[in-house]
Amino acid sequence: MFDRDTGGASIELRALTKHYPGQPAPAVDHVDLDIPAGELVVFVGPSGCGKTTTMKMINRLVEPTSGEIRIGGEDVLSLHPDELRRHIGYAIQQVGLFPHLTIGQNIGLVPNLLGWSAAKTADRVEELLSLVNLEASAFHDRYPRELSGGQQQRVGVARALAADPPVMLMDEPFGATDPITREHLQNEFVKLQKQLRKTIIFVTHDFEEAIKLGDRIAVLKERSHIAQYDTPANILANPADDYVAGFIGADATLKRLALLRVADVECGQQPGSANLPQIAADASLREALDVMLAHGTDRCGSPSGVLTYGALCEAVGTEPAPAPRLQSVGSGSTPVRTAPVPDAARGEAVGT
Amino acid sequence: MTTATLGAGRPRSLGRVPGLRYAITPIALCGVLLALYAWLGAQNLDSIESRSLTREVLFAKAVEHIQMTLVATALVVVIAIPLGIVASRARNRLITPVILTVANLGQAIPCIGLLVLCTFLLGVGFQTALVGLVAYAVLPVLRNTMVGVQQVDPALIEAARGMGMTRGQILRRVELKLAVPAILAGLRTALVLTVGVATLGAFVAAGGFGELIINGLKLNRMPVTIAGAVLTASIAFFIDWLGGLAENLLKPRGI
Amino acid sequence: MNFSEYVVSRWDTLSLAAGEHALVVGVAIGVSTAVGVGIGLLAHDLPKTRGISLAISAAILTVPSLALLTLLIPITGLGWGSTLVALTAYAFLPIIRNTVAGLRGVDASMVEAGRGMGMSRTRVLLKVRLPLAWPLILTGVRVATQMLIGIAAIAAYVDGPGLGTQIFEGLSRLGSVNALNATLAGTLGIVVIAVLFDLFFFAVRQLTIPRGLRVRS
Repeated sequence: MFDRDTGGASIELRALTKHYPGQPAPAVDHVDLDIPAGELVVFVGPSGCGKTTTMKMINRLVEPTSGEIRIGGEDVLSLHPDELRRHIGYAIQQVGLFPHLTIGQNIGLVPNLLGWSAAKTADRVEELLSLVNLEASAFHDRYPRELSGGQQQRVGVARALAADPPVMLMDEPFGATDPITREHLQNEFVKLQKQLRKTIIFVTHDFEEAIKLGDRIAVLKERSHIAQYDTPANILANPADDYVAGFIGADATLKRLALLRVADVECGQQPGSANLPQIAADASLREALDVMLAHGTDRCGSPSGVLTYGALCEAVGTEPAPAPRLQSVGSGSTPVRTAPVPDAARGEAVGT
Repeated sequence: MTTATLGAGRPRSLGRVPGLRYAITPIALCGVLLALYAWLGAQNLDSIESRSLTREVLFAKAVEHIQMTLVATALVVVIAIPLGIVASRARNRLITPVILTVANLGQAIPCIGLLVLCTFLLGVGFQTALVGLVAYAVLPVLRNTMVGVQQVDPALIEAARGMGMTRGQILRRVELKLAVPAILAGLRTALVLTVGVATLGAFVAAGGFGELIINGLKLNRMPVTIAGAVLTASIAFFIDWLGGLAENLLKPRGI
Repeated sequence: MNFSEYVVSRWDTLSLAAGEHALVVGVAIGVSTAVGVGIGLLAHDLPKTRGISLAISAAILTVPSLALLTLLIPITGLGWGSTLVALTAYAFLPIIRNTVAGLRGVDASMVEAGRGMGMSRTRVLLKVRLPLAWPLILTGVRVATQMLIGIAAIAAYVDGPGLGTQIFEGLSRLGSVNALNATLAGTLGIVVIAVLFDLFFFAVRQLTIPRGLRVRS
């Protein structure tokens, strides 16, 4: 099922509509969307906007009223729903591990449904457990109730990956964990997806999570109307309208800095960088800015040279205006303002 | 079934079964029966009493009692569990409150009244007692099956559907497995209920230990009545103990 | 003689038996509720006491009613005495179990809030736990009552009071004209008593459960 050359298969939605009987307006109204193979697309929007309904139509847990869904070019609505779902990974917020089955049995369930041999299933379960950083020997025979929330979420992801499906649907899979565990799971998941390149639809109402995980983000309004569909950087730089801008919040530029690494920015080789506060190459520019603010300077040292405030401005596409410079004159340490800076220019440099 | 085909190895035990707790009942029962034997031996039994308490009579009564209980329970399983499953299906949920109400009201119908009314239709004997016992024990099992299946977390059903299980697979592998504790609890209740009601089977000439109690009272032979009562109670405790063992053995691990 | 004629002609006997049936159940349930809720209040926080009281009351319920009633004859004699003792003993399990479950099921945050505003343990028990557990306790009492009404029918065999006498009269005269009528009158009368008790408990529920617990969220 589903032709594919990479890890994933493309998904096309055409005029996808769900109208529940007895409701005045459709819950999902004529959604058109193309998701390239191997990309992780995040549906983000407020609760009740129809993002989960849209996702559930793809594995037909919700039957569309009208419209078309194609996965890898194949018409999903012509397939048998149960058969279809066995080839689409599915992870939900409540995880939904079966308490009467061991972790191994939970993960091996879909391969079992697909008629894999016991040996092949066992190998796959072993492989998946190590993929989600759970030690197979310790977890294989345990029961879900014996695991922590974070561990259960990992098993949930492993179970969704079990039959190596080209497409995965994830409905706030990290939503029920505490912030620290969630951050941890997100980082692991980003690494995992780099390796697997599945086509993933990821539903969340947390915009930070969307920026962090998504190759692209679809910002959804009510009835699942797409307000903007683009890469995180583009959405942050050019929000399509006030709705999207409101969703991003007041710190769009900081969020953009968070997307960029120190290593991505050109650093000038300057002498004396050893005395500056240091920042690691894989840190984000936001962290670099934090270091500068904390030390009251406009530059910091990185392994490849000196990172300046101006370079940060350039990175987010703003003119590095003649910023107030703190310079030492001679041996004295009195700060001298070298150029008068109009307030407006300063405001622009910081970005609003 | 699933355990074997998934090749997932033996599930590790979740907390050991405390052996001592399960030994208390049989030890206590042995003690009670020995005491009864000793007490009867110390009495000066007249001919009627000793004729009512021979080894053969007691054995026959025990067989009758257990037979009544087990056949009735087996019939209850066959009738009540499928009906409970049917009643639990989404499209049948409208009848849920009806079943719950009837189940509660049915408890109020005195079992002795039900048994005697059955004799007007079917005459006296084993079958009559059986009909009364089954009618009385079906409702708790039906109710527990229905509630047990309905109580399964909707998130689990969604996860099961999401991974492509068919309705039949979801019922067999998820819903029924998770309803097992509730169903077993209902069965154990029904079993204990049936042992008790089977005592009344003696009133409709179906035998059992109840016969000793009734004959003893009729003939004014207290030792016979006491022996009957102690034996009835012992068999009830024994069946309840077996039910508890079965409950622990059959309960899926992990729950 | 058809059934209605039978009921009319025996009205005095039947109503007296029904009254006695309700009375013996009422007295037994009253004693059992007082003692059972008391045990529940004392034992809900003491694992050992709780376990023992639940085990004993469960064991009592396991003894078939005919056996318990006859075993009591040498101690409390035939009739009212044995009936009352047996019925009271049978009612303990549902009442104690629900009392304990209700008291323990109270949300820990509410107990903490009560303690936090300076209520003593006893005060929290009586002012917070008990009112919140009351619906469940009442359910336990109701279930126990329904059960006792049925068991009381068997007590007639050891000369106990109540409508069971009608059923056993029908049984002893199998084949005679009024056998079926007597059995039906006894059985249906007991069902009527059960329904009346249920209505009574419904009313008690409406009157005693705080409004805040009845409104639907």
